[in-house]
Amino acid sequence: MKLVRKNTVFQILLFAVLMVGLGGLFYYNSVNLGYRWQWYRIPRYIISRNSGGSLVPGALVKGLGMTLLISFISLIFATIIGLLTAILRLSSSFAGRMMAKVYLELVRNTPLLIQILFTYFVLAPLFGMSPFLSAVISLSLFEGAYTSEIIRGGILAVPQGQWESAYSLGLSTVDTYRFCIIPQTFRQILPPLASQSVSLIKDSALVSTIAIYDLTMAGQDIISKTFLTFEIWFVVALVYLAVTIPISVLIRSMEKRISYGN
Amino acid sequence: METNPIITVSGLTKIFDGGFAALNNVSVTVDKGEVVSIIGPSGAGKSTFLRCLNGLEERDRGQIIIDGVPLDHNRKHRLEIRTEVGMVFQSFNLFPHMKVRDNITLALRRVKKIDPPRCRAIADELLEKVGIPEKADSFPQNLSGGQQQRVAIARALAMNPKIMLFDEATSALDPEMISEVLDVMKNLATEGMTMLVVTHEMGFAREVSNRILFMDNGEIVEDCDAERFFSNPEESRSRQFLSKIL
Repeated sequence: MKLVRKNTVFQILLFAVLMVGLGGLFYYNSVNLGYRWQWYRIPRYIISRNSGGSLVPGALVKGLGMTLLISFISLIFATIIGLLTAILRLSSSFAGRMMAKVYLELVRNTPLLIQILFTYFVLAPLFGMSPFLSAVISLSLFEGAYTSEIIRGGILAVPQGQWESAYSLGLSTVDTYRFCIIPQTFRQILPPLASQSVSLIKDSALVSTIAIYDLTMAGQDIISKTFLTFEIWFVVALVYLAVTIPISVLIRSMEKRISYGN
Repeated sequence: METNPIITVSGLTKIFDGGFAALNNVSVTVDKGEVVSIIGPSGAGKSTFLRCLNGLEERDRGQIIIDGVPLDHNRKHRLEIRTEVGMVFQSFNLFPHMKVRDNITLALRRVKKIDPPRCRAIADELLEKVGIPEKADSFPQNLSGGQQQRVAIARALAMNPKIMLFDEATSALDPEMISEVLDVMKNLATEGMTMLVVTHEMGFAREVSNRILFMDNGEIVEDCDAERFFSNPEESRSRQFLSKIL
């Protein structure tokens, strides 16, 4: 008992020393580089006062708003696309299965950045899509491919007997999915779907390349005007963390409840 | 007595991947109101036979006609047969996320489009019939195996089927729960339901059913009156099987 505790204390100390060491190394190098930290110039990009004296969101918060908006809309479409693709892959129709397969292979074997640029520079002019729509479409298609694999796994985990009793009761395929199969997949697919939404938020940073004023773009924009490179990237990274870490913690508690319950 | 058989099977053949013939040229007719027990050693094709009757298993050759409707690729025919043939499984297969009552009413609502109050009445009536009216608002996982299987029977009966198929309905149950399920099946038989029962319960087969199909190696080896099968079987394979289990 005592041995174990001594070991834990040692590990905590070791962790602290390592962290302080890394931080010190970072600071030392930045000093050597001659970088002049100007943290006092940062708050105005988060929140500021307008001429009337009332508080208005700064550029970074506006960017975060766009990041969250794009992520949220894409998450909804990615879930719909994922569900449809999963069902197509499991259907008895050859054409349906092939369609799903081609989509999955294309999306999962090309870089997301290329998909975003392709959508924006090739598809958008053809179909008259705005940058915002291009961003939502490319993110939805990309995340939808991964979502479909999660949902497919959930569907396959439902015992065969459930299909058989639905069949022998005369239920249609749509009703079987809607009332019998899909509700039983929630327990299994919610945690991975939630972590997929964290990936979505992170991946959405790439839409800054097609002139969407999201959090990453806001950061780049401020840096180009102020040269506050170090401070702004620190803050941008922290803002992403502030959004994704709570979601990750929520997922973990969800997983725990699911594995202990039932 | 009915002269038109309610089930006509001719030349039914089912070959599994790998070439194993689970059913080999099976032909049989069943009249309305007959209670037929299908018995035989495991791997004889009893369950496969039952599952072919409502199209749960696709056959390779042969013809199946249920109450005048051929079981083919016509969706309307198939749906008619699916709703007219009720099936009870060894593993109950209740929908675990639905209350007992919703398990029973789902197909009534979605397939027969019956309005909710009427569905509710039917469900409560059927739960009364299988002896567990107090479990309507429970979830399946809070029921014993025997209770779950009785709900499964009620669920199949809700569709008002003309034929009931029982695929080893008591095999997954603890011994003390078998009789409560068999009692429900017995009552059903006395009400004149046409029943095909794959079972290892020889007592049930002998007392309740009026006909035995003894299957072995994908064939019907003996097809006769229940009492005669148990007292004086004709085939040597039937005798061998009976000597092992009785």
